[in-house]
Amino acid sequence: MRLPLSPHRSRRFLAALALPVVVAFAVTGCTATTSPSAGASDTPSTADAGTHLVEHARGETEVPNTVQRVVVLEPVQLDTTVALGVIPVGAAVLNEAAGVPAYLGDAAAGIATVGTVPEPSIEKIAALKPDLILGTESRHSALYDQLSSIAPTVFMASQTDPWTDNVALVARALGDEAGADRLLAEYDDRCAEIAETYDTSGMTAQFVRPRDGILTLYGPTSFAGSTLECAGLTIPDRDWEESISVDISPERVLEAQADLVLVSATDVTDDTLVPDSIRTNTASFPGLNVVDQSFWITGVGPLGGMTVLDDIDRILAGSK
Amino acid sequence: MGTIVAPAVRVGRGTTRAAWIGAAVVGLLVAVALSVVVGANPMAPGTVLDTVLGGGTAESRFVVWDQRIPRTAAGLVVGAALGVAGALMQAFTRNPLADPGILGVNAGAAFVVAVGITFFGVTSPLGHVWLACAGALVLTVAAYAIGSAGGQAAGPVRLTVTGVAIGAVFAGLTTGLTLTHPDAFDRMRGWSAGSLLERGFDVVLPVLPLVLVGLALALGAASGLNSIALGSDVARSQGVSVRRIQLVVLAAVTLLAGSATAVAGPLVFVGLVVPHLVRWTLGTDQRHIVLGSMLLGPVLVLLSDVLGRIAVLPSEMPVGVVTAFAGAPVLIALVRRRTVTAL
Repeated sequence: MRLPLSPHRSRRFLAALALPVVVAFAVTGCTATTSPSAGASDTPSTADAGTHLVEHARGETEVPNTVQRVVVLEPVQLDTTVALGVIPVGAAVLNEAAGVPAYLGDAAAGIATVGTVPEPSIEKIAALKPDLILGTESRHSALYDQLSSIAPTVFMASQTDPWTDNVALVARALGDEAGADRLLAEYDDRCAEIAETYDTSGMTAQFVRPRDGILTLYGPTSFAGSTLECAGLTIPDRDWEESISVDISPERVLEAQADLVLVSATDVTDDTLVPDSIRTNTASFPGLNVVDQSFWITGVGPLGGMTVLDDIDRILAGSK
Repeated sequence: MGTIVAPAVRVGRGTTRAAWIGAAVVGLLVAVALSVVVGANPMAPGTVLDTVLGGGTAESRFVVWDQRIPRTAAGLVVGAALGVAGALMQAFTRNPLADPGILGVNAGAAFVVAVGITFFGVTSPLGHVWLACAGALVLTVAAYAIGSAGGQAAGPVRLTVTGVAIGAVFAGLTTGLTLTHPDAFDRMRGWSAGSLLERGFDVVLPVLPLVLVGLALALGAASGLNSIALGSDVARSQGVSVRRIQLVVLAAVTLLAGSATAVAGPLVFVGLVVPHLVRWTLGTDQRHIVLGSMLLGPVLVLLSDVLGRIAVLPSEMPVGVVTAFAGAPVLIALVRRRTVTAL
């Protein structure tokens, strides 16, 4: 899967056309309620008091062009906002004890947690006085009215949509589509670099998440899977049941075979986290690698994508 | 099995009872066979037989010897333990809805496992086993201590109420922990649904002595329970110490339910339904009920596990989900019988 860059470009083109019109409205004293997003990114240093209209899963919302205090409720939103240089004031995390994932770097370390991704805390969010809240319809649907009474709230439809679409939505909300295009282009370039360096075409790879005996195989539309395929590797064919992943019984462990098999774990140094079914069949898994689930699974976004690509680079370098 | 049939062979009623016990033994053998032959990775029965006899391919040896046979052993141990623990609890509390969880055993085990996973990073199944056993033990002792506070003997009613109350508190704490630590929730998901997946000999063998002691205590307490069923006064006049039988029953239930929960997680309905089925067919003598539950518990667990393996191919459904599905209709059928089999 390659990145859908063309829609962004055409939208930006339209936005550029619209800009003089908006300026004209502003000069004549009309309130510019639909200032196009591209305008904000062209002049990021100017404090822009205007707003832009963002179309999202719950309708349309006016979002300030210059947001200072963003709260994010989904990993891909956290990653993308940090990647675009807008460090959120608050983030819902997968594990409150672990906090914000370490791969996001020092800049993100000080972000306050506002509950967990499935159960964010409205009180903590309100206390941060945000000027923009990003959430997910499939997870936070019931909270939308409460959240939008705190601050303008933009929802992406589902965390199982192609992640680059969700990156694009976050960028639109922040009014920085150019930034997102740049990040995704860098990601694509890194993919191409790895594919060329290691001649990955024809190599198969399978990312596996063990869960209490059951093995979850991630398909081409998942974050990990799409990143593997972006780097030129091929995920072995199977019926993905129109889902990002398929669970299999440990009895069928040999269906997870590939040239490169990546098993996720919370601690890559702990061999006991590799499921018994794979450990008793090591002969069938010569290209086995344990990888860190904090970015392979939850690192959805441009920064996580680059971190996963770095990991793939490291693994391929070791196997050569 | 001869020792099981021997006391049942009398005239009339005894012959029927022997027939039922024979049927239960056959059922158990069939369940064990199915558990070895049927699975999420379909293999011809011939291949399975060949593999059991030492042949087969690398894959069939893995499926049969590393997956199906260990989980069958786990199902046997867990089923027998839960069936007997349920029978003891129903006799002891004289409550047909009692199950091993009513003393808070499951809740205590689950809580300690959750704490171990969340705060101490316990990840191995064997670690879960010891945590669960410790949790079950602590909760039963706590329930007994609180139930007999104020110098009164902890009667069945006081114990049940205390157990349910403490169990509710710990179930709430566990929910709180897992909601705030979705990582732990993820790792507990399979365990708390009740699963036999990858429950190999490494977790079954350590609890086996505990289960055997529990079963021996249960058999020893059975005739005492028969006397208590006639009333405490009658029991005393027959030279049965009610207090001592109570303690033996509590010890047995803790060992059995604690071990079963440690291996498979909290499996609902097995301890509740199995003793009903047994009373329905074998009558009300606790010795027969304990023996019958020991045979029928594994049948229910193994057949449910087999169903779970093929219900959601290519994945598997945890056995705990299946026992709930399979157990409910049986229970409803029993309740709808004109006379609920007396305790």
